[in-house]
Amino acid sequence: MSTVEIGVLYGVATLLVMFSGMPIAFALGSVATVFMVFFMPTSALDTVTQNVYEEMSAITLLSIPLFILKGAAIGRSPAGRDLYSALHVWMSRLPGGLGIANIFACALFAAMAGSSPATCSAIGSAGIPEMRKRGYPPGFAAGLIAAGGTLGILLPPSITMILYAVASEQSLGKLFLAGIGPALLLVFFFAAYAAWRYGHETRKARVTLAGGGATSALLDDEHFTLGQKFAALPRVLPFVLLLTGVMVALYGGYATPSETAGLGAILALVLIAVIYNVWRPAQLKPIMENTIREGSMLMLIIGMSLFYSYVMSYLHISQSAAEWVVAQHLSRWVLLAAILVMVVMLGFFLPPVSIILMTAPIILPPLRAAGFDLVWFGVIMTIVMEMGLIHPPVGLNLFVIKNIAPDIPLGDVVWGVVPFVLLMTLAVVVLCFAPDIAMWLPDKLIK
Amino acid sequence: MKALDQLNRAIVVLSSIALVIAGAVLTYSVILRNFSPEPTDWQDEFSVFMLIGVTFGASAWVQSERGHIGIEAVKVLLPPRIERWRQVVVDLLSAAFCAFFCWKSWTLWYEAWSEGYTSATSWAPPLWIPYIAMSLGMTLLTFQILVQAFRRS
Repeated sequence: MSTVEIGVLYGVATLLVMFSGMPIAFALGSVATVFMVFFMPTSALDTVTQNVYEEMSAITLLSIPLFILKGAAIGRSPAGRDLYSALHVWMSRLPGGLGIANIFACALFAAMAGSSPATCSAIGSAGIPEMRKRGYPPGFAAGLIAAGGTLGILLPPSITMILYAVASEQSLGKLFLAGIGPALLLVFFFAAYAAWRYGHETRKARVTLAGGGATSALLDDEHFTLGQKFAALPRVLPFVLLLTGVMVALYGGYATPSETAGLGAILALVLIAVIYNVWRPAQLKPIMENTIREGSMLMLIIGMSLFYSYVMSYLHISQSAAEWVVAQHLSRWVLLAAILVMVVMLGFFLPPVSIILMTAPIILPPLRAAGFDLVWFGVIMTIVMEMGLIHPPVGLNLFVIKNIAPDIPLGDVVWGVVPFVLLMTLAVVVLCFAPDIAMWLPDKLIK
Repeated sequence: MKALDQLNRAIVVLSSIALVIAGAVLTYSVILRNFSPEPTDWQDEFSVFMLIGVTFGASAWVQSERGHIGIEAVKVLLPPRIERWRQVVVDLLSAAFCAFFCWKSWTLWYEAWSEGYTSATSWAPPLWIPYIAMSLGMTLLTFQILVQAFRRS
């Protein structure tokens, strides 16, 4: 069989097995093993486990469960609620301040916890009821939290970026830094939209009131005293310190990214013990169980995805596919657009980890040949995969929202998310024209 | 099958401890690097062993909670009777792959044990330690999937 035929067969087999509903990790492992049996020397079969072990046993990858532990510890404590109320009190005077406070709370929490679903549920469980009480449309409140939560995989320490760094052989430190500017851009877009939408809804409410209709909670004035403002700070500051401390350790050269994971996890456990009195085994149990469930599931997918890519590359499938793409002589931007559309489509079905590890060997060589900076592309790809977290059918964050606010119809949530997906698309376009938004910080700090 | 459940519970507790130890060792490594001239040569690898243990060891418990995610799109499209069979077939295929992986893990462990393989680092710990964690974890996982498949059919 020619490489092309084997490649097509490999793709078709993968699709079939994946859509049978077999767990992703076992599906990838089975396909790769079966192709080994038919197309590789028999002795290769003896090296399957060694291969998987060697691909997985890098501390950069295995630090992922520790990053999850840090997120679970902070996510399960009342830290999200406290962070949210502090920002709410401080930003209440801005037009649409409540919505903006929610976005900032999501961004800060995401940077501490590093997980999209954890951010959605921590900030959303306090933020959505409050926004609805204050007259925000339910769909808008839900969309805002779903979108705010996605900032988790763009801000350091992002698990998605760790995998991208491994797959693309780019510097993880640079990638982490390159995510910060675009994340701030998204925060700005989301906040501007929240302020505009607030104005729009208030005007509508005024018209209803003037026309003799019912008054809306949107029109109520909200005021906090300076005393209330300062009283909100003490419980939040330690977590902001944790965030800054970990960043300083990482970028000051005191710790490697994987050591940061260990340090962050231990500090987070100490903080919730000291501040929220969470230290008894019964209290820690849900945190540990969540971490182990997600960590083991992700690490098996990662191990098997890497093994899957190894077989794909041994059979020259990835190289031929990459060469074929290069040979099309697409213009740079057509190539980029085509690849991003593919990533979006894969995002309908697969979690970001599998998308990155399975496609990297095929899409990165053509992008490099077309002169794109792979750190920059990592940021773009991450934003595009963030969209996958909030659009149906997989849209993990949508289900989290459905859990914390079960009475908002899914249709409203989905429509509430649409403006934010458009804003993210706009951010990708802006980053294409102004790559420095991402690259300025890493270029400045890392030579 | 109560024994399997209890074993899984025990492994979750062990895994929790292993996670915290791995975190503590990496934290210690940061402190050591910045405050003492001693070299940091074993901490990364030690944590790798702990985390490999967590990943494979707990995989059966994760499976018992159906935590290994897959694409669920077909689930809603099939009539219930066929859907039940699909689940059994998918479980059996998953078990077959895990059984194969398990077999190759044990042969790898045996090779590393009898030949005394060590890791190619200055600390050079024996490799049969992580391999046995991988083998035991995959064995348990295979059993767990089979139990679930037969409970269904």
